[in-house]
Amino acid sequence: MVAVGGAEQMVLSSDAVLSSDARWEMVDRLTRQTVTYGTYKRTLGDVLGELTVKPLTGIPVAVAALFAFWSIFCSFAGALVTDGFMVKLFDAHWLPWLQSLWPDPASWHYFVFVGDPLADNCFEAFGVLTSGLFVSIGVVLPAILIFYLMMTVLEDSGYLPRLAVLVDSVLHRVGLHGYAIVPAILGLGCNVPAVTATRILETRKQRFIMMSLLAIFIPCGAQLGVMLEVIPDMVGMVFLCLIVGFCLFGYILNKVIPGENPEILVDVPPYHWPVKENVAKKLCNRTKGFLKEAVPFVLFGVLVVNLLYLGGVIQALAAFFEPLFVTWFGVPKETVGPLIAAFLRKDLAIAQLSVIPMTAYQMFASVVLISIYFPCVATFVVMLREGWKELIAALAVLFVVVFAYGGLIHAIGILLGVA
Amino acid sequence: MQKKLFELEFGDMAVVREIHTSHHDLNCMGLRVGKELKMITKQPIKGPVVVLLGEVEIAMGLDMAAEILVDVIGTDA
Amino acid sequence: MADSTKNKITVLMVGNPNVGKSALFNRMTGSNAVVSNYPGTTVDFTKGTLIEGRQEYEIIDVPGTYSLEPRDAAEEVAVRMLRDCPDAIVMIVFDATKIDRGLYIALEVMERGMPCIVAVNMMDAAHDKKITVDTAGLQRLLGVPVVATTATSGEGIRELAEQIRKAQVADLDAILKRLNGENTAKKQVSGCGGCGGC
Ligand SMILES: Nc1nc2c(ncn2[C@@H]2O[C@H](COP(=O)(O)OP(=O)(O)OP(=O)(O)O)[C@@H](O)[C@H]2O)c(=O)[nH]1
Ligand SMILES: [Mg+2]
Repeated sequence: MVAVGGAEQMVLSSDAVLSSDARWEMVDRLTRQTVTYGTYKRTLGDVLGELTVKPLTGIPVAVAALFAFWSIFCSFAGALVTDGFMVKLFDAHWLPWLQSLWPDPASWHYFVFVGDPLADNCFEAFGVLTSGLFVSIGVVLPAILIFYLMMTVLEDSGYLPRLAVLVDSVLHRVGLHGYAIVPAILGLGCNVPAVTATRILETRKQRFIMMSLLAIFIPCGAQLGVMLEVIPDMVGMVFLCLIVGFCLFGYILNKVIPGENPEILVDVPPYHWPVKENVAKKLCNRTKGFLKEAVPFVLFGVLVVNLLYLGGVIQALAAFFEPLFVTWFGVPKETVGPLIAAFLRKDLAIAQLSVIPMTAYQMFASVVLISIYFPCVATFVVMLREGWKELIAALAVLFVVVFAYGGLIHAIGILLGVA
Repeated sequence: MQKKLFELEFGDMAVVREIHTSHHDLNCMGLRVGKELKMITKQPIKGPVVVLLGEVEIAMGLDMAAEILVDVIGTDA
Repeated sequence: MADSTKNKITVLMVGNPNVGKSALFNRMTGSNAVVSNYPGTTVDFTKGTLIEGRQEYEIIDVPGTYSLEPRDAAEEVAVRMLRDCPDAIVMIVFDATKIDRGLYIALEVMERGMPCIVAVNMMDAAHDKKITVDTAGLQRLLGVPVVATTATSGEGIRELAEQIRKAQVADLDAILKRLNGENTAKKQVSGCGGCGGC
């Protein structure tokens, strides 16, 4: 024990700054006088806590949990709400009603707001009020609702730090550590808060790697929702492709970027039941955020794309980029339109792909391309806020990755004879 | 018997004797010389180590755990 | 002097990660800060307003930090806020099951000479774990108001809000003396505003 007289003098003489040992000494004496520990019986929560962090039991639980997460997401968002309800509502009632009501099918405003007068479903019509509303309310809203509900349960129960422990050794190979799973999972909901959440990583190197990989390889909930609707059979393949890319380019970035790569050091909080009010509150706030910020963006995106079509800009760009698109990426030149939309909203871009006639492989390649290509403008803005140098570097990485990975996928497609 | 922290077996209880790495960070998370801890798990393929310190569980990287020396005082089944 | 312009007092909520700062903040200000059960939920600051006894407080929820030597960018935000608001009252939030860690950062803050108030949160969890915290004793030893709270149920929030105005600059020498059993009470009472409550 430090002599108290000594510590006292230290306080008096210097500018009231204690050494950290002196502080701990004081802390110990304060706790000894004020805190008493009784005998504590382990609860079910503690037992579960240990089981879910031990590799033998924890890894199967993690796999099961993520699988359950995914199947609930698919069945609720895809099958139940969107197909079972929204598609009927929009295609059988909203679209015909608008088509009959809006004057002058040959006019520019009909094209912009209602879209194709002959369309029989809201995906293909591609007007602001048809596809724009259908994509944002009919497809994406149910998807993010169920996604956020499950994410909130993960967050509030205390499972995330345990998942972080389980995936640590994998993420360590790509220059990160297990706790990077937090921004990664937040990113599956929306990349915007995830970019800020990279602040929990210790070094600039780690933050940069995570931010780049996030912007490139992690699809957001809205995008996932539309993918489920447009290419339900290929979502798994796309995911695999993105995960492989995540690991591959993470590994490379880790090797080329100088800087430190500290190990995980994190609190593992005890489990507790998610508080109902808190879950409801978060769900409500996030949904409100979506309605306020994302929906106008989707509508605006359709408007911009349609106006660009009318002005002939997209056709010109498509002709210009045709060699690159067809020979390098192996996708039709019309993909230019969706790629422009992708800068505004990725969900919108994928929806737009569905109207372009192409083979299954081309569809797959375009979806991957849209996923890894430029982050949406909202993500772009928060990345800028975190530092413009990082943003520029991340964009450089992005260009390299899009070309290299896009080309690689095309090459594999050719080798397999599907491209 | 003095050991490195990561050499503990599941359920081993030990007292921290020396910390040769990220002293400050570990202290702030409650891992201090003289404190008792219990090994909860070690992850495979060089994964992290999870220990229980009183009421708190913390996870740390394997290299960090290699720099912490402890005295084994018993096992808790 | 800051009061002449706006008459608003800034209160910074500082403490370890995952102790329930954001939950307390939401309770006091009715805001919608994100509350989750993992350390590092809050990575940026959020402001909210509390009106208590005709006094308006601007409460700022900051990211949790283990010490004032930041380890990552989120902790940097917390340390920067402390530096940028030198006139603020600091509300230090403890987790009742992890008092020692909380005290460490509390001492670091107190050394800066800022007026402090302590909230010992998670009292329900401590009770479940059979840990008892003598908040009155802590208040006596530290010489700043110490309030027991449970953010999830709302217990102690009222009192916490009422006690903000009694925040005190802690005197580390006096704390050491009191730890040795010396009586330094005379200094104490004068700062209390004479409410007779404590
Ligand atoms: N049992 C119990 N749980 C609480 C209490 N206060 C907060 N919590 C829970 O503790 C967890 C952390 O709460 P937050 O408010 O997010 O913690 P924070 O201090 O803001 O954490 P950071 O933002 O990471 O620094 C949440 O799951 C809350 O529901 C409490 O008084 N009792
Ligand atoms: Mg918080």
